[in-house]
Amino acid sequence: MANSVIQRNNVNISGKGTQPMVFAHGYGCDQTMWRFVAPAFEEDFKVVKFDHVGSGKSDLQAYDFTKYNSLQGYADDVNEICEELDLNNVIFVGHSVSSMIGILAAASNPERFAKLVLVGPSPCYINKGNYVGGFEQSDIDELVATLESNYLGWSSYITPVIIGDPDKPEFSEELNTSFCSMKPEIAKHFAKVTFTSDNRNDLQRVQTPSLIIQSHPDVIAPVEVGKFLHNQLKNSAYEQISTVGHCPHLTAPDHVIAAMRRFIK
Amino acid sequence: MKAHTHTEDFEQLYHSAPCGFITITGDGSIVNVNDTLLRWLGYTRDQLIGQASLQALLDVGGKIYFETHIMPMLQIEGEVSEINITMRSANKKNRIPCLLNAVRDKSTDRNTAIFHCVVIKMNHRKLYEIELLEARKEAERNVQKLAQINQDLERFAHTASHDLQAPLNTIYGLMNLLERQGYVPEDSDGAQYFKLIKGNAMRMKLMIHDLLDYAKLDAEERSFEQVSLKEACAAALEMLGEQIKTNQAECIVGELPVVNGDRMKLIRLFQNIIGNAIKYRSEAAPRIEISFVNKPDHVTVYISDNGMGFDQRFADDIFGFMKRLHSHDSISGSGIGLSACKRIIDLHGGEIGATSEPGAGSAFFFTLPKPDN
Repeated sequence: MANSVIQRNNVNISGKGTQPMVFAHGYGCDQTMWRFVAPAFEEDFKVVKFDHVGSGKSDLQAYDFTKYNSLQGYADDVNEICEELDLNNVIFVGHSVSSMIGILAAASNPERFAKLVLVGPSPCYINKGNYVGGFEQSDIDELVATLESNYLGWSSYITPVIIGDPDKPEFSEELNTSFCSMKPEIAKHFAKVTFTSDNRNDLQRVQTPSLIIQSHPDVIAPVEVGKFLHNQLKNSAYEQISTVGHCPHLTAPDHVIAAMRRFIK
Repeated sequence: MKAHTHTEDFEQLYHSAPCGFITITGDGSIVNVNDTLLRWLGYTRDQLIGQASLQALLDVGGKIYFETHIMPMLQIEGEVSEINITMRSANKKNRIPCLLNAVRDKSTDRNTAIFHCVVIKMNHRKLYEIELLEARKEAERNVQKLAQINQDLERFAHTASHDLQAPLNTIYGLMNLLERQGYVPEDSDGAQYFKLIKGNAMRMKLMIHDLLDYAKLDAEERSFEQVSLKEACAAALEMLGEQIKTNQAECIVGELPVVNGDRMKLIRLFQNIIGNAIKYRSEAAPRIEISFVNKPDHVTVYISDNGMGFDQRFADDIFGFMKRLHSHDSISGSGIGLSACKRIIDLHGGEIGATSEPGAGSAFFFTLPKPDN
């Protein structure tokens, strides 16, 4: 079991501190998404990064379509990693869909988590009743349908080719095989599970202090969604940072780091 | 003729090139766009520059893909290529499938990043891609269907032949009992009929036995290993011992190679071909030679005899399922032996064939893959 969880999720540990800070990447790529943010915390924390099963260099054999048919499957993995590494007083940092994964993990295992940092979170991507998720059901249906017809070029041949950093050829080589490339079947399934998930009812199960980091505009998780979440989530703080797009940890890492520091202090 | 400056030339190329050029900042905001792309999409320059982002020009799937894949890759790698996106025209009526290549301006860094993008229309390519994908899906469905049908057929063949065997064995046993206990008076019409019935029952038994063997070929797990053909051939000859002795057959086995294959099946292969060489003998005592030729990627094994031979016209037919050149009355057989040989060689990815001439013997040959490395 010990090795299997570590290998299954391609867990990497760095940093000089003792309090664990666990970084979970969102839909799309893998733990390299944290490369501009995580190093800033290595001085003071035990930095734990991992790939969700199906992404990056995780064990693709472990991708179970039943288990990962809901975000709870990923949340269970987070708890298994914490258990395996005996992590306590955890600061969990999740991007995008991993924010909800972190909330589910904290809901089922509250004693392990000290704080949650949620970057671009959304409990539900689809507009329902008065709730504004940002997408119509038909948009998501279209997305899922287009993903299923391999529309975005997720064929084994059209997987985006990564041209590497000439300074670090060995790193590029690694990226070629992992970064943003997922098996088409898994990519479709992960997209479907992510964008059709509705975890609004799970929010009240969580008391862990949390920070919502919201960029604007963010087409995937708009400001309304961040505010809704802040409203529903007990003990949550809300910070809107001045950057655009769904990946502020890539486009404005300094803002994200600063917001995290203010929250953690 | 008016002299153009370099800048004017580049400007003209930029705007009239048969592809879209668009320059964006790290968050996708459009800072420049060429006339070609404006024309394709039906926007004016003022509507886009400083007013819109690249992702706003994409369909829903493209927006999400841009945020979750393209932008992260651009931020981390500084370059993406051959990304399939769908752009939407200003009036939302047209969807334009495109290929996107983008690279970070070398003079900018992560914080001030500017990306230059090239957009190439691919309407027809996209249709072709959809056709190919559809064809692949169809092919996958068919493969699955065929695999299922095959599996069912194998099970059917095995069950049918297996279940037919039991009552036939009982019939055969009872006939022997009838005969032994004198219920069939010799020289009577009944004895004549009895003989015919028994002959047919025997033939049926042989056919069922061979059918069962054939059905097993596919049902058995494949276990490929390095097999010495010399040993496989020796094992076959041992099994044919009785037949060799009765017919005073002479078998000359030369050097034989080691191949990659299924030991049990290869023994059966030798047994069937050598058995045939003895069964379809000529007046002369059977003389069977077994040799091989080494080729770069495979070996060819030859088994030649001095038997009755056959017309070369039938060289392909003899490997057909339950095909026979002889009537059951002249030489008994099920017509399954050689088709089983063909099946065995198929499973090994080789070829099998024969050359012959009536009265001049036959030469069978088959190819087998060499062992790995």
